[in-house]
Amino acid sequence: MSTSIDFVVNGERQQLQVEPHETLVEVLRERLNLTGTKEGCGVGDCGTCIVLLDGQVVNSCLVLAVDINGREVTTIEGLVGADGLHPLQESFLNKGAFQCGFCTPAMIMSAKGLLDEDPAADEEEIKRALSGVLCRCGSYKKIVEAVKMAREMMRIPQ
Amino acid sequence: MRRLKPFSYFSPRSVAEAVQILEREGPGALPLAGGTDLLVRQKRGDPPPKALINLKQISGLAEIEKQPGGVRIGALTSISALEHSALIRNDYHVLAQAAGLLGSPSIRNLGTIGGNIGRASPASDVAPALIALKARVIAQGPQGIKEFEVERFFRGPGTTFLLPGEVITHFFVPEPAARMAAVYERLGRRAGMDCALVGVAAALALVPGDSEATEVRVALAAVGPVPMRSKKAEEVLLSGSLTAERLKEAARAAAEECMPISDMRASAGYRKDMVRVLALRTLEAALSLARRNGHEHVD
Amino acid sequence: MSLHYIGKPVLRIDGLDKVTGRAAYTVDINLPGLLHGAVLRSPMAHARIRDIDVSQATHMPGVRAVITGHDVPYTFGGIIKDQPFLAAERIRYAGEPVVAIAAETELQAQNALCCVRVTYEELPAVFDPREALAANAPLLHPKLENYVRNKTYEIIPGTNVCTVRTYSFGDVERGFAEADEIIEDEYYIHAVAHTPMETHAAVAQYFAAKSEFTVWSSTDRPYRMAKEMADAFGVSTNQVRFISMYGGGGFGGKGSLVAEAIAACLARFTKGRPVRVVYSREEEITATQTRHATFFKLKTGVQRDGTFTAWKADIVVDNGAYASWGPDVAARGILTVFGPYRIPNLELLSRLVYTNKQIAGAYRGFGSTQATWACEAHMDVIAAKLGIDPFELRMKNAYVDGDCYINGQMMSRVGLKQTLTSAAQKIGWGQPKPAPNGSKVRGKGIGVTIKPTKTPTASYCFIRVNLDGTVSLLSGAPEIGAGEKTVLAQIAAETIGVPLSVISVPNPDTHYTPYDTAVASSRTTYHMGNAVRMAGLEVRQKILYLAAKALKTDAEKLNLLEGKILDASGSELITLQALLAKALGPMGGSILGEGYYSAEGSPLLASLPGLEGLSSIFWMFATHIAEVEVDVETGVVKVVKVVASHDVGRVINPVSCEQQIEGAVIMGLSNTLFEEFKMEKGRIVNGSLADYKIATIMDLPEIDSMMVESIHEEGPYGAKGVGEPAAAPTAPAIANAIYDAIGVRLNELPITPEKILAALRAKQSNG
Repeated sequence: MSTSIDFVVNGERQQLQVEPHETLVEVLRERLNLTGTKEGCGVGDCGTCIVLLDGQVVNSCLVLAVDINGREVTTIEGLVGADGLHPLQESFLNKGAFQCGFCTPAMIMSAKGLLDEDPAADEEEIKRALSGVLCRCGSYKKIVEAVKMAREMMRIPQ
Repeated sequence: MRRLKPFSYFSPRSVAEAVQILEREGPGALPLAGGTDLLVRQKRGDPPPKALINLKQISGLAEIEKQPGGVRIGALTSISALEHSALIRNDYHVLAQAAGLLGSPSIRNLGTIGGNIGRASPASDVAPALIALKARVIAQGPQGIKEFEVERFFRGPGTTFLLPGEVITHFFVPEPAARMAAVYERLGRRAGMDCALVGVAAALALVPGDSEATEVRVALAAVGPVPMRSKKAEEVLLSGSLTAERLKEAARAAAEECMPISDMRASAGYRKDMVRVLALRTLEAALSLARRNGHEHVD
Repeated sequence: MSLHYIGKPVLRIDGLDKVTGRAAYTVDINLPGLLHGAVLRSPMAHARIRDIDVSQATHMPGVRAVITGHDVPYTFGGIIKDQPFLAAERIRYAGEPVVAIAAETELQAQNALCCVRVTYEELPAVFDPREALAANAPLLHPKLENYVRNKTYEIIPGTNVCTVRTYSFGDVERGFAEADEIIEDEYYIHAVAHTPMETHAAVAQYFAAKSEFTVWSSTDRPYRMAKEMADAFGVSTNQVRFISMYGGGGFGGKGSLVAEAIAACLARFTKGRPVRVVYSREEEITATQTRHATFFKLKTGVQRDGTFTAWKADIVVDNGAYASWGPDVAARGILTVFGPYRIPNLELLSRLVYTNKQIAGAYRGFGSTQATWACEAHMDVIAAKLGIDPFELRMKNAYVDGDCYINGQMMSRVGLKQTLTSAAQKIGWGQPKPAPNGSKVRGKGIGVTIKPTKTPTASYCFIRVNLDGTVSLLSGAPEIGAGEKTVLAQIAAETIGVPLSVISVPNPDTHYTPYDTAVASSRTTYHMGNAVRMAGLEVRQKILYLAAKALKTDAEKLNLLEGKILDASGSELITLQALLAKALGPMGGSILGEGYYSAEGSPLLASLPGLEGLSSIFWMFATHIAEVEVDVETGVVKVVKVVASHDVGRVINPVSCEQQIEGAVIMGLSNTLFEEFKMEKGRIVNGSLADYKIATIMDLPEIDSMMVESIHEEGPYGAKGVGEPAAAPTAPAIANAIYDAIGVRLNELPITPEKILAALRAKQSNG
C-alpha cells in the first residue's frame, strides 16, 4: 500500500513512493544514499540515527517515512554550506571530539538542534541535549568542549 | 537491524474517523501516536498489528490551552512540549519536571502524553505527576466521550480501561490550590537516558500558617502493577502538623504500601527502600516549595 | 632535535570524513546485487541438534540462500580451532548461530528465519566456571585434544579446562613464613560487552571459479582473519581478500571472525552476489564476544613496613563456549595480577574454563583489566591492614628502572612512580576530606596498572612517493577509531621530511597493503610506527640521493624538510615536486620504501629461560585516582573526578593520547557502575541498550589526563602505547574511593547501589 511523500532533505525537494512500514532512517540510508546518518540499534536507545525534522532532533529509526510528508529533514550531509564547514564541524575537528566517528553525525546534529534554539546553552544544557547519543569511545569530554567552541563561533556575526 | 513488518495503514483526519476505523478493523488495530513505544515493541518481536491508525494527521490534538479552572492538554502533545511550555512550567511545574526526565531529548520530541499514558507502563514518569495534579484523561469512542481520573485509568501493567475503538483525545489538569507545590523525583541507574527504577511525586497544599496540609497526594512510579497513589502516606500527612517526624512516617507508610517486583533492573526490597527515601525527599522539597509559594511565584 | 610533527596536536586526518558523515563503515557498503543476511540462533545454552528443517524457509519470498552447518562444516579459532561457523551437531551457548539466510531485503531474510524449524535436545548446562571444574560437570568439548591448535597453550583433555598455566618464582611458603601479616581475599570481575556503536557487520562476495572471497570488514586484524578464513575453507591466503573500512569501534571485539564468518559462508551459495550481514543491537550484545569474567583468590605475605614477601594467585577465567583468544588471556594477559610491584616469591595457577555462555574474547586490556582489578583492590586491603597510606604502599613497592618483571625481564623506562606522584599531586591526595553533604559522602581511591604488549608481533608497510611529491603510506593497520592513521602519518612526515598534508593513508586491503598483526594490544604506534620510520628513512635516503645526483653534490650535504631540499645552511635548493619531475621525468615512476618491525630477538626481551613468552618489548604504566561521592541513602555512586596519569613513552599526538585515556576512563567507569549481563539459563536477557546501560554524556566526570614520557629506547621517537591501559585502573580506583568514603569493601564487580546499601547494612550490624 505505497504512498507518495513529498519532502525536503538538506534543502532539496524529494518525492518518493514509500511503504507505511519504512522508517525515515531506511529512506535516508537506503533510498537516498545519505549514509552519514547511522542506525546503531533501530529502537531509539543509542541516538546514532538522530536527524533534524523541522529543526527538532528525532530518532529517525522511530519515524515512519509516511510522517515526513511536507516536512523538512536535515542530516549531517546538509551541514556543509557554500562557505564550507558548519562551525560545529570545525569545532569537532579542532577539538578532536570524535574517535571512531560513528556517533559523530548524531552528536553534531544534536548540538545543532540545541544551539539553533538556545545559542547561549551552558554546559549542563549541552550535556542534557546530547544525553541521547551514546559514544562508546568516550569522547564526551571533548564533545562538550567542541560544542562550547562552536557556540562561541556562532555568536560572532559572520 | 530489525525491520518492521508490513501492516495496513490508515491516516484519519478526525477523531471520529479514527474511532470508526479502529472499530471496523477490530482487535489487532492499534493507534499510533509518537511511535516511541509501539514501533519499538514491533521491532522487538511483538506480533505485527493488523493495522496501524496514525493519529498524527488529526489536527487540534497537540495543543496546550489554558481553560477555565485548569489546562487542556491534547493527547498528541509531545513530551518535550510539556517540558518546555511556559504555562506548564509555571503553573503545573511537576508535570514539566517529570516530562523532562523521560528518555532523551529526541525521544521527548517524538513521544506524546497520550501515547505515554495509553501505554500504561507502571514506570511512567508522567503518570505520577498527573496523578499528583489530579489530572483527568478524556477519550472518545463508539460509545461517545468518556472521562477518567488518571489514577483510575490503569487496569494493569500495560493496560487501561479504554475499550476497543476508544482513543485518548486530551487531558484536563485542574488548576492547583493556591498554596500547592508538587515535586517529582526518580531514581535511575545512570544520569542520562534512563527510566525510573522508582519514582515519587509529592503534592502538598498548605493551610495559612503552613503548619498543616489541606491536600496531599503521593503518587508512585515503578513500584506496583500500575502507577499508584499511596493513600496511607497521604493519611499520615493529613493527620496533624507537618513535622519532620510526620514526613518520615509518611515516607515509611508509602514504602510499606507499595508493591514492587524484583526484575532485572532492581530488587523489590531496594525499590521499597527507595520509595521511603524518595518520598521523604520529595515531601521535604514540596513542603519547602509550598511555603515559598505563598510568598512568591516560582519559575 | 627539533620536531615538526611528533608531539604536536595535529588534527586527525580522518576528521574531515567523520564530521561530514562521509566516512564509510562496513554497514554503509552498498554493492550491485547486494543480498542481506540474517541468522537463526539457538535459544538454548547446551543442546544436541536433532533436526534442522529449512524446507519452508527456502521458499519464502526473496530468499536466495539458506545454509546450515552441514553446508559449511568448518571450524575456526585464533588459537584452538574449536568453533564451527554454524553449529551442526551441538549447541554450546545460547545465541550460537545455527542457520543463516540471504535474501533480497533484510525483512525478507528476517521473515524467512521464522519458518526454520530446529529440533533441539537440551543437555545439562554449566554456567559457573568453578562448577565446570567439578569432575561430573557437563563437558563442552569432549574431544578437546583433537582440535587443531596452538600447542604452546596447555589444555587438560577430558575436562572443561581450555588452558592451564602454572608459574612460580622463589618459594611462596617460605615467603609466607617470613611475613608479619598474611592477607587473603577473593575478588570477582564480571563479563561485559564491547558495545561498539557500529555493530558487527561484514560484506562478503565469492567468485566460485577461483574459490576467491572478498570480505569488507571493520576488523582490527584483516590479515589474521583472512588467514583464519582461508585455513577454515581450505584455500590459500591470497584467495581471501579483506578490505578494511573505517571501524565504528572495536575495543577488541572485532578481532575474531564474527559477522565475517556468516557473510562468507552465505556468499558461497549466492551465485556470486555479495551478502551483507549486519548484526542487530541485540545480537551485538548477546551473540558476539564478551570480556572474560574472572575469579581471583589472592594470598599475600607482607612485612609490617609494607614490604612484600610472597604472593599467590589462584585464578579461574570464564571462557564461555569457544576458545577464541582466551588461552592467551589466561596464560599471559592475566599474569600481571601481581601488579608492578617487587615481590620475591610468587606462585600462580590460572585456568581458563569452558562454560555454556557467550564466548569471551579479546577485550580492551586482555586480562590486565581483570588482573588490575584484583591486584589493586587487594593492595588497598593490605594498606588498610597495615595502616599504611595506599599511595605510600604503592610508592614503596613500585617498579623502577632495573627491577625485573616476574619472568626476569629487566624493566627499563619505567615511568610508574611519576604517574603515581603526578596523579596524587593533581587530585590533592592526602588533603582533608570535605564534610559530608547531607547523605553524600566523598572519598578518593587509587588504582595502578601495568600492561604489556603481546611480544613478538609484526608490522610491515610500504611508503610510496608519488610524482607530485605526495606520499601514500600503505600500512595494514585499520583505522578503528584511535587515530591510527594520523599518528602513523605524523611519524612518516617527520621521518621523511615532508608536510603532513601530503601524506595519505588509505584503508588497508590485504591485496595491496602488507602484513600487520593487528590493531590491538596497544601495539600500533610502536610497531607500525617503527615500520613507518624504517620505510620513511628509506624513501628519504632515496630522495636525497636523487637530489644529490640532480644537484651534483653529496647527499650528506643535503637536508629534506617540509618537502624542500635544503643545503647545509638551510637554504632551499629545489622542491621535492620539482626534483621528482626532473629525476623521474616524463616517463614517471615511484619512490618506494619498505618497512617492517618486530621485536623478536631484541635484547630488551631477555628473561629467565622458558619464560620469554611473558616478556614485552614495552611496558605501559598508569595511575588513576578517582574521587567519588556516595549517597548513603540510595547507594548511588557518582564519580566526581578521575585523574589519569599514563606513561606513554613519548607523546606522538597529545590529543589522540587524551582521547584514548579519557575514552577508556569512561569505559572503565561504565563497566564498573552500570554494565551487567542479566542471565536466565545462560541466555542474556538484557540485550538492548535500554537495559544494558553504558555511560551517557551526563555521566561524564571531570577527567584530568596526564602523560609521562619515559622515552622508550626502541620505540618510534620513544613512543610506547596507550590504547588499553586506561581501561583497567578506574575500577579499583572507584572501589578504593568508596572504601575511603564509607568504609565498605566491594570485592565483586559490578558495583551497584544495592550492593553498597547491603554492605553498609552489614557494616552497621557488625558494629
